[in-house]
Amino acid sequence: MNMSFKEKSLIASLGTTFLIFGWYLYGAFSNLPLNPELPGFVEIIILLVLVAVLESIIQSFLSIMNKTQLEDERDKLIEKISYRNSYWFLSVCIWFLMVQILLDTRFDNHLILTTPYGMFHFLLLFFVLSNLIGFVTQLYYYRKGV
Amino acid sequence: MSQQTLADKVGVTRQTIFAIEKDKYSPSLEVAFKISNVFKTSLEDVFTYD
Repeated sequence: MNMSFKEKSLIASLGTTFLIFGWYLYGAFSNLPLNPELPGFVEIIILLVLVAVLESIIQSFLSIMNKTQLEDERDKLIEKISYRNSYWFLSVCIWFLMVQILLDTRFDNHLILTTPYGMFHFLLLFFVLSNLIGFVTQLYYYRKGV
Repeated sequence: MSQQTLADKVGVTRQTIFAIEKDKYSPSLEVAFKISNVFKTSLEDVFTYD
């Protein structure tokens, strides 16, 4: 398989995002109506920072070792397309959440979704999903071509 | 000439040269001119428009 460094790092990012947030969000959504706290949220942030630092160290190390270009115009173009897809997905989700809040205020429904805890986690879920859509879009265009 | 040598001369990754060869990526004018310059030939000899 002819994979660039960018593709490999995308797969790694996709895997780590899926595992870290999947684990966290599964825990958060399984006791959504009950738990008013944010269990393990600080740990998740620390873990993500560590992963990001590790990724940039590996990237710098590889670029010094290989002395070849790791990113070019094709990577930037594919990244741009993925940002567009992520943006549209996130916009739709934010509008969905806004309509839920509006309905809740208007009809006094008190949905789980519009409690501060629920809203925080749905927002987090939407951000993570839009991020994942970005990764998947990039992988798709690397395979299919642009 | 290997894909890596061409990629290094043009300033792109080897995968981009591979994608151009497989018709999976249309390069920018800048890259297209650089490739034709490497082969010391005209743009039309390297690329065709379908």
